[in-house]
Parts: sequence; C-alpha cells; structure tokens
Amino acid sequence: MENTSYDIRQLNERIHQASAFVDLLNMEINKVIVGQKYMVERLMIGLLAQGHVLLEGVPGLAKTLSIKSLASAINARFSRIQFTPDLLPADVVGTMIYNQQRNEFVVRRGPIFANFILADEINRAPAKVQSALLEAMQERQITIGDSTFKLEEPFLVLATQNPIEQEGTYTLPEAQVDRFMLKVVIGYPTKDEERHIIRQNLQPEGQTKINPVVNPSEILEARKLVREVYMDEKIEQYIIDVVFATRNPEEYKLAKLKPLIAYGGSPRASINLALASKAYAFMKRRGYVIPEDVRSVCFDVMRHRVGLTYEAEAENVTSENILSEILNAVEVP
Amino acid sequence: MKVKKHIFVYTMLVCLLGSSPLLAQQYEDYFQVKAVPDTTSIRLGEQVNISVTAKVMLYALKGASLKVVFPNLPDSLNHLEVVSRTPLDTAGSNSQQKLWKQTITLTSFDSGRWELPPMKFEVFSVTDGSYDSVFTEPIIIDVTTVAVDTSKAFKPIKPLRRVAWNLLDYWPWLLGILLLVTGVVLYFVYWRKRKPAPKPPPAQPLRSPYETAMDELAQLGKDKPWNTDVKLYYTQLTDILRQYFEQQFHIAALEQTSAELLQNIKPVTVLNQQRDKLQSILTLADLAKFAKLQPSPQEHEDCLQKAIAVVEWTKPAAAPAPEPDSTNQKK
Repeated sequence: MENTSYDIRQLNERIHQASAFVDLLNMEINKVIVGQKYMVERLMIGLLAQGHVLLEGVPGLAKTLSIKSLASAINARFSRIQFTPDLLPADVVGTMIYNQQRNEFVVRRGPIFANFILADEINRAPAKVQSALLEAMQERQITIGDSTFKLEEPFLVLATQNPIEQEGTYTLPEAQVDRFMLKVVIGYPTKDEERHIIRQNLQPEGQTKINPVVNPSEILEARKLVREVYMDEKIEQYIIDVVFATRNPEEYKLAKLKPLIAYGGSPRASINLALASKAYAFMKRRGYVIPEDVRSVCFDVMRHRVGLTYEAEAENVTSENILSEILNAVEVP
Repeated sequence: MKVKKHIFVYTMLVCLLGSSPLLAQQYEDYFQVKAVPDTTSIRLGEQVNISVTAKVMLYALKGASLKVVFPNLPDSLNHLEVVSRTPLDTAGSNSQQKLWKQTITLTSFDSGRWELPPMKFEVFSVTDGSYDSVFTEPIIIDVTTVAVDTSKAFKPIKPLRRVAWNLLDYWPWLLGILLLVTGVVLYFVYWRKRKPAPKPPPAQPLRSPYETAMDELAQLGKDKPWNTDVKLYYTQLTDILRQYFEQQFHIAALEQTSAELLQNIKPVTVLNQQRDKLQSILTLADLAKFAKLQPSPQEHEDCLQKAIAVVEWTKPAAAPAPEPDSTNQKK
C-alpha cells in the first residue's frame, strides 16, 4: 500500500510516543553499565528487530552484565549458558528423563527456555551444540522427543566470542554466523569510564538494582511498529547498492577490492540491514529511515557477511576496511 | 628279357643321378643368401659394414607363400661387436624376385684374425609347413693395431686447427642487421613523410564550481520542478550543493550523509551563520526525500534562496590583481 505524507506524519507521531520506553530503558541500564553505550544500543536493535547478536570482545567488558540488566529492565527471564568442549545439545535445549514414580518419560527443559540467552564463548562448544542453539535461534522452537515447544517471545540470543584465544575452539561456520543479525565488536572503556566503573563497583551499598521499566508485551508491540517504519525506495536502493558492492565491487569503481573479497553479503544481509536500519530509526524516535540509519548499523550487520581472501588476510585487510571503502564510494541518496 | 631289365635299371639310375643335381640347382636358385663385407681388414675400433642379402625367386614358389627369417646375431660374438643393424629393406623386390637387405655394422677392439661365423637363414613354407635353412659363407676380418714407431721420440700434441674465415658462417647476424637497418630506414622515411598531427582545438575556459552551481541553481529556480515532483526538486537541489562542495572543497560530499556533510565541511570552509541555513536545507530535503514530507511552496523558494546564499558565502575569494613591476616603476 502506498504511504501518503499524512500517513507518515501519523506514523511518526505514533513511533515518537511508542519509542519513549527506549530512553527509560537506557536510563535504567546506564545505572549499572558505564560506557558501552554502543553495545547496549546494538542489543536493543537486536531486541527490536528480532535478531540475535554476536559479541566479540575480550573478557570483562560487561557483556553478561549488559544482557542481564536488559533482561531485568524488561522483566524477562534471563539464562546463561557457558559453552565448553564437553557440552551436549541436551544441556542446551533439554532432554527426556525417566520419572520412576510416574513410570514415564518427562521433558526437562534446558536453559534455552528463557527470553534472553547469553551463550558465553559460543566457539568453545563443538559443532553439534552450536548447531542446536543456532537452529533454535532460527526456528524459535525446540523439539524434545516427540514434543515441540515454541520459545517464548521476546527471544534474544547474545553469543560471545573471545577474539584472542583461538586454541581449542570450534570456529562458527559462515552459514551459521550469517544467522546472527549483528556482530558487534566491543572495545575497552575510556579512562573516565573506567574510573567510574571502579567507583561504582566499590561503593559500600553494593551494585545498584535494576528495576523493570518495560513489559515484554511492550517490546512485542514495538517490534510490530519497527516493521511499519517507512523506508523510501531511495533508501532501499542505497541498501542494495551497499550489499551489491560487496559482491561486485568493480561495478562501483572499487576493482581493487575484488581480489580481497571471497564472497559478499547474502540477501539475508540486505534484509537484516533494512530491518536493523528501521530499528535504529525507531530508537531515534523517527517514523522513517534516513541514510544515517543505514550507515550506523552497516558495519555491525555486514562485517561477518563479507568473506576475506587469503590475500586480504596476508595484507591485514579487515572486513571493516572493505566496508569503509564501500561506504565511501557508494553515493548517498 | 635280361637286357630289358638292365635297360630299365640303368634308365632309373640315370634319371635319379640326373634329377638330383637339377633339383639341387633349382633349390639354390630360388633362395639365395649373401653376406658381403665392405672390408676385411680394419684397425682397432674401426667399423665393417656387412651387407646381408636374401633373395627368393618367385617363379619357383608356384603360388606358395614363404617366410624368411633373418639371423639374429648377438651383440657380441667372437671378439666382434655389433654396432648397429639397419631395418630390413625390400626396395629391390620386383615381380620376378623378392629381395631383403640389411646392413650390419661390426667393430672389434681386439687385434687378431676373427671369423664371423656363417649366418643361418631360415625359410618356412606357410602353405605346407615345410622348413629349410641356408647359411652364408664365413667372413674373416683382420683387426690390426696402429703401427707405432717406438724408435722415435714422443711428439707434442697438435694445436687446434684453425678454420678459414667464411662470411656465410655469420649469415643469421648479417640478416638481423640488415632487417634492423631496413626497419630504421623505413621508419625514418615514414616519419619524414607523415602528416603533422592535427592541432588540438582551443581549450574552453574551465568553469569554476561556483559558476556551475550558481547556473544550475538559477536553472532550477526557472524550471520550478517542485510543481510536479517535490522529491525530485529536493534531490536536485542537494545534488547541486553536494557537487559544489565536492569540486570546491575536495570532500566526498556525494558519498556522505547530511550529518556527515555538516560535520566534514566545518574544517574546510567558514560557514558561520550560513551553517544553520545549510542544515535546514539538508534536514528539509531529507524529510522530503525519505519521509514524503510536502513542504509549502514558500519553503521551496526559501530553500533555493538559502542554497544560493550558502554558495555565495563559500565561494573562493577572487585572486588579487598582479602588482605592477617595481623595477619598471623605478625606471
């Protein structure tokens, strides 16, 4: 259906009102999370756009605390799974156990039955466990024995990877990494932020408590509105140009990138870039997407979807370098 | 009666005695073999070519087909070494006879008189399966050493023998030099006779980004595209401004978002109060382009005027007029 300017103005007003909880949520989370605004913002994009987030960062950067705080602020169930080499799929999704009194097998649900899942160090578990989790992420349902269980919405998986220790890990295959909407690389806090973190953690009254400020039902309503955010065809074309430039850089006067790219973004990249841009616009309390929204989320959506060749790795070229070149070459509408 | 009996016995004896040599003569005629050396005396290491021939007369075959097997000499026999064997040559065959030829090259490294034993040729009748063999005559080869006069002193090794200089030995070089000289001469002739390159048309004076932007903005004001397509108007307006910034200040304005452009233009030009104008143009244009906003006609005009004001404000200062030469003034 064609949107008129009146529709968009109305939508803009609706979104302006409906997205007010984003500020509340931010304020509540910022009570315990110092810095890492970027990571919290990406978590909320994943939450609103119904996508999962892969976090890459060294230990101790408040990854667990962030998602735990988000779960507390939304009054949702949080579960943490520490991935280890001896973990089994049943340890994640659950299993059938024999009840001697009732003389029957009963389902014992695994930790995945929660709203927010922290899959810590996902690359430490073998492929079959990763696969079980990623299948649940995609299907949003679990089958144990003969019974299928729908996972409760909102359902957000935050998986973490440690970029420095690669020994004894099982690297996620490209096809499975592609299922994460965002791959966020987080860095260390600034000096001021670090000082604030020390003070906050050493205060005599202990850690500040997070109060629930949003209901899961509000999040589900917001998700519907996110999909209604207006995206002009010029923005759609811009997204297509960016994704196509990763596949055929020579068509965008970037022939020098051709030998560095093994494979470009899939159609899932285009879908997720559009959806994440809408979620970002929603968080900025706008009812329409502008090019800034696309560029803001582009690195996180695309960095794990651009495959590098050996030549690129030999020259220390990262997917971020390639995406920067592409964004600097593709004309903004 | 006795006389008749004797006549019969004598007749039979005459027939037997007469027919046997005849048959033998006929057999020798129809299959002959020969081994003829080109020399029978060589020095150590020299070679002897032995021409081996087998000949079958076709008239004696009477339609029967024969197969001739040549002798298979070992590589070394009786102080003689076989150096090479040529393939069987049947070029001498005709309608009367079949002829096989082979040349066997022998040598020897032992002095003395050595005999090449008779070589056995075998003949098979394919038709009735009969078999016979014929031998060549043995060949005696004298192998002598080099005669050395031990009474004389040793002589020095002979120097390298010089070959007389011959011009034809250097023909590839001469041909190359000749071709090179010809090529150079042809190129020189072509260079002398070629037409002079056409003079490039006089270069049009380049228009400055400021002039281009002002002309395009004036044209936009005349065309008034907002009457038909507001989105197109704001797209053209922002494109003119972005192209102007790109050419004037060498920033990639076309590849930057509105916020990035406002941020990146700050270091390259002084916008002062014009910054608000540029921001309002870009914000309104974004709303028109991406949120289907329909600004009022007054806002269209205002945006155009603001764009002209921004371009005017940021235009490069005119280059100062060249000062009169001080040395001339002194004079």
